[in-house]
Amino acid sequence: MYNERSQVRRATTWRQPTVDGTLEGDRRAVEKVVLEAAEAEHDLVDEGCGTDPSTLRAGQLYRRVSGRDDRAQPVSEEELAGLSDPMAAEFFRENRFPVTVQELLSGLPEAAAASRRVYLVSEAGQIAPDTSPGLHRDMRFAITVAVRAGQVDLLISTQAGGDQVTAFLQVAAWDPDAKVFNFYMRIGPTWVWAGNSWDALEPDSRGKGCFDSHVNGSAVMKELRIPWLNWQSERATVRLADNDPLRRDPLYQQVTGAQKLELTVRSLVTRWTAARLAEVTANGVVEHPDRLFRHLFTTTTVNLAGTDRQSSIVTPESTDLVLPMGFWLNQDVLLDDLGLVTQAAPPTAPAARYCASLARFGFRLEERAEDGSIAFRRPGDTFFAFVVPEAAHEDNEVVRQMLRHGLLSAKFAACVLMVDFPNPVFSLPRAHLMRYAPTAATKLSALCDQMALAITDAARTLPADSPEGLFAAHWQVPDDAWQAVFGQRVDAYVRKAAARARTEDGFDDYVRLAESRRRQFRAMKLNEFQLTLPVTDIPADAPPLAMREDATAVPLP
Amino acid sequence: MTKLDAYGPPGNLDDFDEFGRKAWNAFISNTVDAAVKGPDPHEVLHDSPRPQFYNLTSTDTAGDATRAAISWTAFPRIIKITSSSDVQRWERADASRDVQDEYCEWSVVRDNTNKITQVTFTCEGPEYWEVLAETNPQKVIELYRHHISPDVRPEDLFSPTGRYQPRNKWNDSTSHGAMHLVQRNNTLGAEIELAAAATIRRVINGTELTTEQELIACGKYGAPERNSDPHIGAGVNALARQRADITLADPVGLYFDDLSTDGWETPDGSDPKSYWTYLRGDTEHRVRAAYRVPPEKGFSVGDITIAGRPIQFGSQIADFITIKLTGIACRLGRSTAEPQTSCVEFLPADMPEEAFTAEAFSAYGNFLDPRPAVSSRSSRVA
Repeated sequence: MYNERSQVRRATTWRQPTVDGTLEGDRRAVEKVVLEAAEAEHDLVDEGCGTDPSTLRAGQLYRRVSGRDDRAQPVSEEELAGLSDPMAAEFFRENRFPVTVQELLSGLPEAAAASRRVYLVSEAGQIAPDTSPGLHRDMRFAITVAVRAGQVDLLISTQAGGDQVTAFLQVAAWDPDAKVFNFYMRIGPTWVWAGNSWDALEPDSRGKGCFDSHVNGSAVMKELRIPWLNWQSERATVRLADNDPLRRDPLYQQVTGAQKLELTVRSLVTRWTAARLAEVTANGVVEHPDRLFRHLFTTTTVNLAGTDRQSSIVTPESTDLVLPMGFWLNQDVLLDDLGLVTQAAPPTAPAARYCASLARFGFRLEERAEDGSIAFRRPGDTFFAFVVPEAAHEDNEVVRQMLRHGLLSAKFAACVLMVDFPNPVFSLPRAHLMRYAPTAATKLSALCDQMALAITDAARTLPADSPEGLFAAHWQVPDDAWQAVFGQRVDAYVRKAAARARTEDGFDDYVRLAESRRRQFRAMKLNEFQLTLPVTDIPADAPPLAMREDATAVPLP
Repeated sequence: MTKLDAYGPPGNLDDFDEFGRKAWNAFISNTVDAAVKGPDPHEVLHDSPRPQFYNLTSTDTAGDATRAAISWTAFPRIIKITSSSDVQRWERADASRDVQDEYCEWSVVRDNTNKITQVTFTCEGPEYWEVLAETNPQKVIELYRHHISPDVRPEDLFSPTGRYQPRNKWNDSTSHGAMHLVQRNNTLGAEIELAAAATIRRVINGTELTTEQELIACGKYGAPERNSDPHIGAGVNALARQRADITLADPVGLYFDDLSTDGWETPDGSDPKSYWTYLRGDTEHRVRAAYRVPPEKGFSVGDITIAGRPIQFGSQIADFITIKLTGIACRLGRSTAEPQTSCVEFLPADMPEEAFTAEAFSAYGNFLDPRPAVSSRSSRVA
């Protein structure tokens, strides 16, 4: 649900208000954003909702799945009856269409109020308001509610503060009957159903509309791990001016730390993944095996990780920085789920190396206006140091559950993930193996064997260092030895990385590699906000880099 | 509002007799007063006094008082960020009470197949038990026998000279019981000192410090590597920046905030939270809890899954526990305390050779800093 790049959000995010550096300027900026949000609704309309929002009839739920529906169409009574999530049940079926988040929350059953949790996120939230009065801070609330007893089933994303009538308002609601999330957004006077979790997986709608961030149809929190970058949490408090009207907002006063949202989002990803796997394996045949195996072979999406050190107070004399483990490998699956036997500890870097790199590579935060001019610039790294993309929990959870349900053997998964394992995201060699994933209906029992046979067959005529050759070599390791053998390789690699991270050349290599991966993230639709990541002086045409098992970073061929 | 008559025991527990209650009030009140005064400025610079911190028994709480709960995750952050995987960090956190440094410690009970049957969590500060042992030692024995084991003997808890041993065979491991906190930084004195020190506003080079990490780096009131210390400090300092007077709510203590069970599943579909039971403390101030399944359910804790993974470590549960303290702020906008314009500095000790006496070393061989303001400082250390 979070940080998604809806058309409305995209417009409010990228259009930079012009202000004069005063509080009055801030006020005018908010007004301008509101106007832009309204304009953005028209943009959405132009992109397919059909007509001016004013022609969307209040009191009617519309349907528009991006990539499938060219215009918004009224949801029929029969279709509405098929929606059993809290949003449909509590509002639309009762002919209620809340306009503001306050109306939405107050329209829920009283018993649900106790379960409500409010979170706050902003990519500019750690930039002191008094030093950058013109910066559009784009604060959003994420709100979770357990409407029915037990677990969270309603997630709301909305603008924090400002005019709530024109603010974006988006909802992901769990349908316990269909076992999917339904995605809704308010447009003008009414609401649009933008699809459900399955639509995220269908070719026509995949990656489109709300599924450009809800890539696999689940709840999303990009910054899922400590220190929950950009979120208010037990590690950081979003900065507000003393006289910011948001301080008086009842929702702001309920904000709790994102450490709790991590637990909720992880459980929601687990819930949808379990429902998905149960459905696609129900009759013993998987219709589209490739849709499952792309989570093993490719990077369908990413999470962002970082150190939890405030970059601006790191000095050369500071203690070492513990670099995020997800930068080095997919530790969640390789170590936790596959149980590789390792002694690996996260590599650390001397603070002096980190500080020197900031100057050497010209690290800065930068936001450009639509005309390309610099709207905001500040030297240094993001608030938390060394932010990098890491393997997505969404991908890992599919792999994890496939392992548990026997859809995937642990050895097969390990043999795949050990191909190019120093590159946990955006690995071309692993993605190359995706061609061996069946695209036609395949019996569950045959999946892994069929793929392993195809890859090892192909390897016979390919170089040993080809992806097929590497897999085949892994596959030769005895069943009772692969966890130890692969674990030793991981240990050796992490030891080398740890040693190199302490050297000037080595650390600089890793800075370049991190920036290379950040640039790949920037090319994804998931990249919504310019201030999410730092920019550097590394030339725009610098070749993308990959890590090797000897812990050196080299240009991709 | 009036002054508080006396500080109550943590959780409003009723273990103390009348003398014990008075002793407890004396301890808390004195600790708060010492925290208000701060360290000797000849030994520690820019850390005293703390005029925005106050004693509830000697200073009125104004009518505009507001309460602010500050909560944090029970799982030790230092272990989390220095481990390579979840399994590794769970193993490490379950291995020793010495690493459970977020004001929450636990002990695990397993059956003969090594499956977890119960995990007991405590956030009771050791000082309470020291006072109870001094004023009502029999009660200490009774509580240990009730909560830990009927096999507890007096000599297990008390030295031959009658001194209570906080780290005893029933309270020094992660497998034989956890009666109260024993990790060296998990003390109420540390909580009070940290909260008081964090009331000092810091304006350095013309910029007021506001973030968790810059405040603790400058105020040196705890360990920046923890979940708790920087977060408590920032929460308290945010109140101080509103020019309020601040204190810890009575009864002063650390309390369980919540157990979230997002993603937990039981074998029979029952509510996983129903197996979380508070054992000590009133409804607003829980200080002891256990996670256990009644025998009649036919399954045990180890059969419950979190995100599909069976509970194999007590620390998996600690991931979902939050601990809290509650601050009070009043007289908002009325404090005239000026911010400090420098960070805390510890002055080098003048250590003549005659300072190295036998008394300068603890019974465990640790050198005790002869400077009272430093050696008695309750601040948490790394």
